[in-house]
Amino acid sequence: MAQIVPPTPVLDIARGIASLDEDIPRVLAFLGKTAIEELGWRRPNKSSLIVPIQGTLNGVTESYMLRLGFAAYRKWPPSAQFVNPDTLAYAHPVDQHHLPILTSPECHVHPNYAAANGKTLQLICCSATQEFYDTAHPVEPDLIWSEQNTFYTTVAAIQKAMASFYGGRFAKL
Amino acid sequence: MAIEGNRSDSSSLDEAVEHLKEAEAHLEHAREDEAKAEREVKEAIHEIEETSQRDEVDVHVIHVNELEKATFKEKIHATLQQVWDKSYKELKLERKPKDVFQTASAQPKSLMEHLQLTLEQARDRKVIENFHFGIASETGGA
Repeated sequence: MAQIVPPTPVLDIARGIASLDEDIPRVLAFLGKTAIEELGWRRPNKSSLIVPIQGTLNGVTESYMLRLGFAAYRKWPPSAQFVNPDTLAYAHPVDQHHLPILTSPECHVHPNYAAANGKTLQLICCSATQEFYDTAHPVEPDLIWSEQNTFYTTVAAIQKAMASFYGGRFAKL
Repeated sequence: MAIEGNRSDSSSLDEAVEHLKEAEAHLEHAREDEAKAEREVKEAIHEIEETSQRDEVDVHVIHVNELEKATFKEKIHATLQQVWDKSYKELKLERKPKDVFQTASAQPKSLMEHLQLTLEQARDRKVIENFHFGIASETGGA
C-alpha cells in the first residue's frame, strides 16, 4: 500500500493530561491491577509515565526505562523515549547506553535520528509514538494512530518488539 | 356337528391365547432391548461429553488496542487460526485488516507464522506456553 506522511501532531497538554487520567484506570482494569505501582510504573508528573521495559539476549536480561509523554495525547500517540533511569531524561551521546537495540519492522530504535525536517532526536520508530509523526515519517494509512487507542498500545508494541527483536544495549560513548 | 363345532372354536381360542402370550413375550423382550439400547445411547452420549470435555481448554484472549478481554472454551485440536477467528466473536469486536494474533505476556510474540498449528501442537512445540492470547493492531516503523 502507498505510504503517506501524516500531519504533524499538535500539542494540547491539558487534553493530554485529562486523557491520561481517563485511561490509566481503564488500562489498570484491563491488566487486573489497581495501582500503577503494582506494574512498576511511575507518574513523575501529570503528563508523564515511566514504564520499565526488559530485554533478554543470550540469557542476559537487562532493564530499560521508557518515558511516555502525553502532550498531544490521545489525538496522537504518547511521546516515547528511553531515558537515563537517574535523570529520567535522554541526552545524546552520553545516555546512548540506556537504549536497547531494537530492529523490529514495527519498532526500530534510533539513538540520534536526523529527520527530514531538520530535527535530531532519539526516535523509537513506531507508528504508536508521537516522535514518529514529529519526524514526518511516511507510513501506510492503515497503520496511522487511531484515537481509540490508549498508551497501552504503545507499551505493548515496544514490549512485543523487545520479545523478538532485542539486540542488546547500545554501546556507551 | 355342534359338539365338533364347539371343539373347533375352543381349539382356535387356545391357539389365539397362545399367540397372545407369545406376542406379549416378544413385546417384553422388545421392551428390554429398547431399555438396553436407551441405556447404551445414554452411556455413549456421556462418553462423548466426557471425551469432549477432556479435549477442551480454557482460552483467554485480550485485545490490546480496545482493552477488551474474554475467556472461552475451545477444542485442543482447534487451530490457532480458528481460535483467532472465534476470539472476535467472544470479544464482540470486528477484525481489522492490520490485526495480528500473538501471545499475551509481558513480552508478547507474534503467532502469525504458526496459525495452522493446533493448540496442542503449538503447546507441545513450545510456540506457546499457555492458552493466553492477544490481538493487536500492527504498527509501522523501521
